[in-house]
Amino acid sequence: MSGLSRHIESFGALLLAVIWISPLVFAFWAAFHTTSDAVNFNLAAPWTLDNFRTAWDGAPWLRYFLNTFLLVTVILIGQFFVTTLAGFAFAQVRFPGRDIVFILVLMQLFILPEVLIVENYVMVSRLGMFDTILGVGMPYMASAFGIFLMRQAFKGVPIELHEAARVEGCGWFGILWRVYVPLARPTYLAYALVSVSTHWNNFLWPLIVTNSPDTRPLTVGLSIFAAPENGVDISVISAATIMSVAPLLIAFLVFQRQFVQAFLRAGIK
Amino acid sequence: MMEDAFVQLDGVAKRWNGQLGVEDISLSIPRGSFVALLGPSGCGKSTTLRLLSGLELADEGRIIIDGKDVTTAAPSERNLSMVFQSYALFPHLSVAENVIFGLKVRKVAAAERREKLRRALEITGLLGYEARKPGELSGGQRQRVALARAIVANQPLCLMDEPLSNLDAKLRASVRKDIKKLQVDLGITVIYVTHDQTEAMSMADIVVLMKDGRIQQVGAPESLYYRSANTFVAEFVGSPPMALVEGSALPGFEGAAKIGLRAESLRLAKAGQGRLKCLVSECEFLGSETFVGLTHPAAKGLTISMPGLQTIPTGEELEIDFADEDLHFFDADGNRTNHLKRVSA
Repeated sequence: MSGLSRHIESFGALLLAVIWISPLVFAFWAAFHTTSDAVNFNLAAPWTLDNFRTAWDGAPWLRYFLNTFLLVTVILIGQFFVTTLAGFAFAQVRFPGRDIVFILVLMQLFILPEVLIVENYVMVSRLGMFDTILGVGMPYMASAFGIFLMRQAFKGVPIELHEAARVEGCGWFGILWRVYVPLARPTYLAYALVSVSTHWNNFLWPLIVTNSPDTRPLTVGLSIFAAPENGVDISVISAATIMSVAPLLIAFLVFQRQFVQAFLRAGIK
Repeated sequence: MMEDAFVQLDGVAKRWNGQLGVEDISLSIPRGSFVALLGPSGCGKSTTLRLLSGLELADEGRIIIDGKDVTTAAPSERNLSMVFQSYALFPHLSVAENVIFGLKVRKVAAAERREKLRRALEITGLLGYEARKPGELSGGQRQRVALARAIVANQPLCLMDEPLSNLDAKLRASVRKDIKKLQVDLGITVIYVTHDQTEAMSMADIVVLMKDGRIQQVGAPESLYYRSANTFVAEFVGSPPMALVEGSALPGFEGAAKIGLRAESLRLAKAGQGRLKCLVSECEFLGSETFVGLTHPAAKGLTISMPGLQTIPTGEELEIDFADEDLHFFDADGNRTNHLKRVSA
């Protein structure tokens, strides 16, 4: 009986995995075949790299890659900075109204980012950051999720370590930098993974706030490239899509084990 | 008040929202001494240590270390080192990095750091373990890393919070000697918290026995043992603890509320010649001697120490005798009294 139910579980998992991965597999397959072969599911069709050549020439991809890379990096650095300080304050510094402020920060989780798009647009323009990478990244830096995650990680640090560091002469920042941050490494890694993949794929906000190829990230570049006036060429679009997701996908496959471990360790705490 | 007091506490108190912490702690500790803060759990000994370290601030009173008023000073300004019960080693740092953590924070030059590290590791017998992480060490080794970290800074005062409580009994006895030797060799002042009276009695020059946030008695181990200030001290210090007999049960000593008797002062008496008639309740064989537990309706914790192996059946009647000069007298409040006349009035 238990053997049977195990088989059902495995089968279910397999089915989900197949459903999950099939669009990607199809895009991958289509990218290497001519449009008519791809659309007609001609499995015996010859493989070709023409789609990549066409796609690569169709847009300033290198610039887009650089923009996305810069965007993701800027956001991650900003998030690490803000969430570390805020998480530490909420976890270890006693100040009046701490719990209320923390709840206010958590409420941010209930608000869909899309709701704030207009407000953020006005704010970013007023700050003179319209159509800049910093402007695209700014609204995501004070992440409530990140603050919560860091607070939990810092709360898990034994208080004796904090006290030992104090006796040894560390100030607040010394303790944070020498004790809390190194001990929260798995949490940082897990959070970085979530943040990078989210912002690598983020589309709507960058679409609105960028206006030129100099700041446009991959996702926006890809959507413009695939816009109907060029004619919908499924193979070329697939090739462009594969190019956009490839760096992240390869990084994930290479560091898969570390990522999963980081998640487990961050979760256990 | 001692003139050369190195650490001094004046009427120090700490309370937590009305809950008792410590109350009216006054102590004077000479330079280079080994002081044990002893007491049952919750007696305030750890709180006293944390007040000394600056990890907690006193609500009342003054703390003076080395002639400097440090009542409100930060831990790092008090020139002290600390060994924690859990050792508080940084798990992400190697042994060497753990030991020199404080030196790095205080920006000591690298060459000096290396030299001090080597000496500290040599003293604690940890040479060769520099690159290990705390997670790869045994409990005893971790304990020594914590000691090395405490001595590397070369602070004149070292606070230790039950540093041996996580070690097994055999290791504890040997580390006890190491710590005592270290303290003498380095000439530092150690304030040591423990709930184990054997530890306190064997290591300390001065024992401070506490209960419910108050000091019960301060003195050399022998003075706590031979001249216990009250019945709590009498029953806490010594193994087995002092037995307490109702004064009314001993002809001639009706004036004292309680009379204390140490196991070694009791002698077996021939039938009809003893001063107390008791029943045997248990025999505890310890090798060189056997503690025979006795019950008597007017006494608590009567134990007689007998040489070698003794097997006396439970329930057998024994008569015991003792000399008058071995008796300890306590009044109705449990305080020691040497003048029977006064309480008999």
